[in-house]
Amino acid sequence: MSARWLLGRLAGTLPILLGISLILFMVIHLAPGGPMDVYADNPSVTPAALERIAEAYGLDKPLPVQYGLWLKSMATGDWGYSIRTGRPVLTEVAERLGPTLQLGGVAMGIALMISIVLGIVGAARRGQWQDRAIAGFTLAGLSIPVFWLALVLQLVFSVWLGWLPSGGLQTIGVDAFADRLAHIVMPAGVLAIATTASWSRYIRAGMIDVLQQDYIRTAYAKGLGERAVLIRHGLRNAIIPAVSIIALDLASVISGAVITEAIFGWPGIGSLFVQSMDGRDYPVLMGILMMGSAAVILANIGADLVQALLDPRIRHA
Amino acid sequence: MIDLSRRTVLIAVAAATACAPVRRTDRNSLVVGLTYDIDTLNVYSTGFLGDVQAAVVEGLMAPDAHARYVPVLATEVPTVENGGIVIGTDGGMTITYKLRPNVKWHDGAPFTSADVEFTWRAVGNPAFIAESKDGTDDIFAIDTPDPLTVVCHYNKVTPTFATTLFTFGILPKHVLDGVDLNTAPYNERPIGTGPFRVTDFKRGQYVSTERNPYYWRRDAAGRQLPYLDSLIFKIIPNSNSLLMQIRSGELDLVVITPYDQAKQMDALSGVELLRSPLLQWQHLDFNFRNPTLQDRQVRLAVAHAMDRSALVRAQGGFPVAVESAVVPIFDFYDSNVITHPFAPALARCILDDAGYRVGADGVRSKDGQRLAFRFIVQSGKGDDELAQQVIIAQLQAIGIQAVADNRAGVAYRQARYKGDFDIMYSAWVTGAEPVYSRFYGTRGANNSLKYSSPAMDKALARMEGTLDPVERRRAAHEMQRILATDLPSIPLTTNVAVITKRKALKGFTPNPTNMTPFVGCAFWRLEA
Repeated sequence: MSARWLLGRLAGTLPILLGISLILFMVIHLAPGGPMDVYADNPSVTPAALERIAEAYGLDKPLPVQYGLWLKSMATGDWGYSIRTGRPVLTEVAERLGPTLQLGGVAMGIALMISIVLGIVGAARRGQWQDRAIAGFTLAGLSIPVFWLALVLQLVFSVWLGWLPSGGLQTIGVDAFADRLAHIVMPAGVLAIATTASWSRYIRAGMIDVLQQDYIRTAYAKGLGERAVLIRHGLRNAIIPAVSIIALDLASVISGAVITEAIFGWPGIGSLFVQSMDGRDYPVLMGILMMGSAAVILANIGADLVQALLDPRIRHA
Repeated sequence: MIDLSRRTVLIAVAAATACAPVRRTDRNSLVVGLTYDIDTLNVYSTGFLGDVQAAVVEGLMAPDAHARYVPVLATEVPTVENGGIVIGTDGGMTITYKLRPNVKWHDGAPFTSADVEFTWRAVGNPAFIAESKDGTDDIFAIDTPDPLTVVCHYNKVTPTFATTLFTFGILPKHVLDGVDLNTAPYNERPIGTGPFRVTDFKRGQYVSTERNPYYWRRDAAGRQLPYLDSLIFKIIPNSNSLLMQIRSGELDLVVITPYDQAKQMDALSGVELLRSPLLQWQHLDFNFRNPTLQDRQVRLAVAHAMDRSALVRAQGGFPVAVESAVVPIFDFYDSNVITHPFAPALARCILDDAGYRVGADGVRSKDGQRLAFRFIVQSGKGDDELAQQVIIAQLQAIGIQAVADNRAGVAYRQARYKGDFDIMYSAWVTGAEPVYSRFYGTRGANNSLKYSSPAMDKALARMEGTLDPVERRRAAHEMQRILATDLPSIPLTTNVAVITKRKALKGFTPNPTNMTPFVGCAFWRLEA
């Protein structure tokens, strides 16, 4: 693997991003409605006032011109201004990124730990009751809709038991770690369950594959304990195919968890996206979508790098 | 290996959650759920109703629960009788406001006539991107002879002066003079004279306020208002979460409860539902560019084909049927307005007599002119699209074909204002002092129907050119009579706001106007 390979890959992302931006720009303008729709029923916003507002945001220009202008300002690092709030898109996105990364980070961290354990146990006890119990859990985790699970958890822990707050980032006016923790438990848990279910299946499949290899038998034969065999010889090989899937899921964290954030009132990128979609706030939508696309592309490159680190046989020339 | 036994983990989680305060303890603060994310706290540029703003910013007057104006920062609502309004010989008018003395801004600075004059200039400034600059053009000069007197000079007699500018809110000159209003920090931390002042605005999360220690208003017993220590607005766009937080006690008040959650809210203990009228009505409009629709008999038949109860049912039973474009809460409303009851047989007779015969495809026609129309609503508006389907079925029952031709965004706006449709279903919202010439006047900015009637123009001119309430009401009744006769537009339903509130909240009055119930929040109190 060389620095040249990495530079080449990075340079290759530019045309991809350009293509993506063109498609996204067209698609979000295909959606019915526009930023001016909120005023449609309000007679005191006269047609003349609407024209004036549309002009102020450049919405009166033909779409190709609008795209060109957007591209031009994007090239200089100017993400434009939100039509809804009049604030810079960069500010809007930046202030939502923190909560989203926090939620996504905690959820993915939990998911990674649990899914590795479940994957290993499932493979090592293949066909036994532990494996069947894990399979049952993953099937449930994959099939239960997130919004339903979230509402049930809210009902149990917020309404009936009163243990956890049903939403928000923190209690208003309180800035304590315990309070933050209480707020993140449910949304992170909900997010982690579906991810755990999916990841643990990949890891289990990889482990089963590896555990049938000769070198595992050899490792047992030379007297190594089960834990050492499974983790040092098994997991390290088994996780390689799962890495690219995990990397892509991690990249999607940056776009926010739309449903979970909405239900738990989490002020992250996902909520911002929904609100911007409702208001057809094109500059903010483009900003979020481009950021998400860039993250996925970079995560792909990252996955290749990690695979090479884990498996000396993989070399990027 | 760290000893992370199940027991230690459980104990740690339990300890962490136990010390997190879930239920609020300070019971003199009210938590309000907002279903939309706030764009800006500036009343002049927000795209939403100013719920938070109404608790923070005050105007010279405000509409009360009956949509009648009452004084706020002015000592009285100017009228011709009290000498506040003087009609000039040149056709203009002069309005003099006497301001309430000893009113202070949230930062303690005194509120004076200079602030009122500044508000007019700042909102009218072309560089300021505002949704509503209503009323700034009607005034050509403002004098401030002393700190408590404002004299506004109007180009013409403007009975609707109260509905605009100074009612929305006054801007603080000492904070905003020379500042770009489009980007001012004021938009996130507005300084007003209202009962509550903003302490924190976290976008996408909440706005918290505290009582304004300088607030001028006192109750009958002489106690300084507001009663509440703080009002907290939580942004909860998801309607399920709204219900959940009312149930868990994290929320006390929701002023616009989504219709689909209202029934469940009603079943909760300690919670009550109020229905508050809105100054809004849905209507079916005819485009007079279409020669067939110029035939009054066709419009009359359509009027008799409308089953309003079906429209109400289709929208969850919450809207209320109306027969006049003037919603019943207004004094202008004519309770004897001509009605067109649902009578499909009569509608068919009218069309038969007018010579429209049913063809082989079930659609009527006369001299090759088929009663087939393009029917537009704004696509993406669920309730409107639902109502459209009901109306299409009702028209089909009398042999009229209506085909949905819905558009969105720029395309919808263009079609609506340029008249590229045959029939249209939509809603209008008015202020507490409605201006109907916008909709039905020959030159009305919102009249895209090409409807033009000299009698209507005369009635509207009478209504909007005088300050005499008796004459205005008489003209309004005349307008409603002409509307019901000419039928350019058939009023169908008016919406209600469903308010969910904790029973412990007392002193709450709904407000039908765009000033929202928060205009009265100084008088709200929580009882144990």
